[in-house]
Amino acid sequence: MPLMSTTTHDAPEQDRDASAPSPQPQRWIKGNNAPAGAKPAETRDERKTRRRHLRGRWDFKYSPYLYISPFFILFGLVGLFPLIYTFVVSINDWDLLGGAGAWIGLENYKAELTSPLFWNSLFNTFSIFLLSAIPQLVIATFIAAMLDQNIRAKTFWRMSVLVPYVVTPVAVTLIFSSAFDEQYGVLNNLLAAVNIDPIAWKTEVFPSHMAIATMVNWRWTGYNALILLAAMQAVPRELHESAAIDGAGVIRRFFSITLPSIRPTMIFVIITATIGGLQIFTEPKLFNPSSSVPGGPDRQYQTTVLYLWDLAFNRGDFGRASAVAWILFLIIIVIGVINFLISGSIASSADKKGAGSTGRTRAARRAAARAEAKAAKPANGTQSGSAANE
Amino acid sequence: MKPSRKSPLALAAAVAGSIALVATGCAADASKDAQPASADNPVTLTVTTFGTQGLDPLYEKYQKENPGITIEATNIDTGGNALTDWKTKQAAGAGLPDVQAVEEGWLGQVMSVADSFTDLREFGANEVAGDWVDWKVKQATDPEGRVIGYGTDIGPMGICFNAKLFKDAGMPSEREEVAELLGGDDATWEDFFKAGNEYVKKTDKAFYDQSGFVWNSMVNQLDEGYYKADGSLNIEGNAELRERWDLLSDAASKGLSANQTQWDWGKGQAFVDGSFAVMPCPGWMLGTVKGQVEGAGGDSSAGWDFADVFPGGAANWGGSFLTVPTTSEHPAEAAKLAQYLTSASSQATSFEEAGTFPSNLEAQKSEAVTGTNEMSEFFNNAPVGEILGNRANGVQAQYKGPQDSVIQEQVFGPAIKAIDAGSDSETAWNKALSTLQELEIK
Repeated sequence: MPLMSTTTHDAPEQDRDASAPSPQPQRWIKGNNAPAGAKPAETRDERKTRRRHLRGRWDFKYSPYLYISPFFILFGLVGLFPLIYTFVVSINDWDLLGGAGAWIGLENYKAELTSPLFWNSLFNTFSIFLLSAIPQLVIATFIAAMLDQNIRAKTFWRMSVLVPYVVTPVAVTLIFSSAFDEQYGVLNNLLAAVNIDPIAWKTEVFPSHMAIATMVNWRWTGYNALILLAAMQAVPRELHESAAIDGAGVIRRFFSITLPSIRPTMIFVIITATIGGLQIFTEPKLFNPSSSVPGGPDRQYQTTVLYLWDLAFNRGDFGRASAVAWILFLIIIVIGVINFLISGSIASSADKKGAGSTGRTRAARRAAARAEAKAAKPANGTQSGSAANE
Repeated sequence: MKPSRKSPLALAAAVAGSIALVATGCAADASKDAQPASADNPVTLTVTTFGTQGLDPLYEKYQKENPGITIEATNIDTGGNALTDWKTKQAAGAGLPDVQAVEEGWLGQVMSVADSFTDLREFGANEVAGDWVDWKVKQATDPEGRVIGYGTDIGPMGICFNAKLFKDAGMPSEREEVAELLGGDDATWEDFFKAGNEYVKKTDKAFYDQSGFVWNSMVNQLDEGYYKADGSLNIEGNAELRERWDLLSDAASKGLSANQTQWDWGKGQAFVDGSFAVMPCPGWMLGTVKGQVEGAGGDSSAGWDFADVFPGGAANWGGSFLTVPTTSEHPAEAAKLAQYLTSASSQATSFEEAGTFPSNLEAQKSEAVTGTNEMSEFFNNAPVGEILGNRANGVQAQYKGPQDSVIQEQVFGPAIKAIDAGSDSETAWNKALSTLQELEIK
């Protein structure tokens, strides 16, 4: 086989065509014999071959773009175009039914940034986000660590934690909404049974945020646990074993080996949780479907996306709703950049600390070094022997 | 790596595939029905309705009687979702059906884009205008006099009461007695609250479920509600409105309201556990009450009955219209269908099917409406059709402004919640006014 590079890609064509009964086909060279009929006597076979070469070249050059084009076309249609169009709407006085009005520049942005309702929605969004993201990640890490142990019926447990994720959020919300009902809900009935005053889950700010965060946690904890579990399983076992030999307990190993090793995955999980958390809509929308105002009578749990929806489809102010969408978009970008910078500095500080590029912590490296040293020694103990055999 | 050779066919398929992903929309036949539909000239009409409007058997019948017509009906679960659906499609300027049902509560918004609905006078609306109660036709007429919808049902209001609870309280419990107790023919809200106070004193339980429905009724029956007839806002400094607000908050502070969650009622529990004894009921609410009671495991023995009385004069809540958006390809056929679906016999059928009280005068008097049926049996054999017919007398069409539903839900909704939770009249009223400011409704 001739050495192949992208510039000589018509070579194999030639190889293959060598078996054809026709005389050695002429290679088509750009600018040389391109126009048909330039050469007086081109046989049918020659023409066929030349065309095939042309197609082969096009195929090679353009088909990769064609293969990836559906994503970009779809992204352009449902991502980029709406983004730009939303911006256009946001700088106009745009009524949902009446359509475009006057061009008013950044008036909509100004109106929103001074609107108490907008800030209220932002406060609610961040409050619910923090109440859900933090416990969710802690519990997910714990569950993942449990599933990472050598337990019976592994697959069963792993599938089980994913079940809440499979259930649609609407169904989850209906069930939780009923459980959190103030007068007839299961939770307040239980509280009443032990003589605790009922909690106003749907009318007070903090309890309602707790209730909605619970729904979010219910849905996402298992999903995050599985992602973290996958990362944990990629942590080399010998690290744990050698640390165990050194006398590190389960908890010490978890904090010194497992956690540092899954940091990149952890950052991924945090970023996706942030984006999801800032766009929360279904849970507050359906938490109290009979509420006359979406997000509670006094907008106690009206998140920003819910506020945006209300602004567009109930109050009919499309321009201002679009401005809110853009503000939210910018906030998410800012938070994304902060996340990126933090994760970047973590990665680079890990690089600085370690000679190796694996980004392990000092403890992990020390454990690894010992493992190697032990493995190098002739097997002299049952424990280290098993390590050496691996 | 060797680039694979692809057959031209595969390449073409790939190209076609990605084009298909991009291509949207489908070819619409542009015939603006020059000639009427027949077996040779088939026409498909799309209809969008919501809730339970009892039209399904009528579609079948119409298709049989009109060869060539195919009806594709979509029913959306609630009025609120249907409103969002309509608004989205109206804003996008595409996707609207040939016949669109709109609710009274949306009229303010519908009228702001009235010219995107077909003027039904072009298709004979004038000839049949006398078939409906006059205020229904007035509601569907835009400021330029164009008639944009045919009335389906209306929501004349009476009082649902629980005879058992009244009896246990030692109060009159027969239908006529209760009507008399609540003020009879010229009942006022004062009479209503007086009876309520008596009930609360005797039983130590709430009288009505929550203040929202009472407030809606109070506002709906005024000549002018949240808006003046000229379209200007009519809330701040509206003495009539404020007087009623004070009456209502006074009642709530005396424990007349059970502070239930409206449209939820603890999944119907409150209807069977004696939480409250009366409720303002438009015709269509009877079906809701029945559904709630049955949802909580009760039946007609729960004691609910329907009294021929309403405080403060005649009131109407809700009711719908069938409209023909101008985007329809077949406006003549669509208008014909809308007229058929709202005719006397059709409305009688709908009443039997879903309990929606007819706006068509002839249908109101028909045996199907005035006779006994499932609904009357549930309400202790009350002649519900007859009572609702009486309640429809004297209703006035009130002007609905573009933000009427937002004011009702977002401005007064929370304020009502506040008075039900014990806030005083002044504070709650000011809360409503400040929300009005916050929402920048002008």
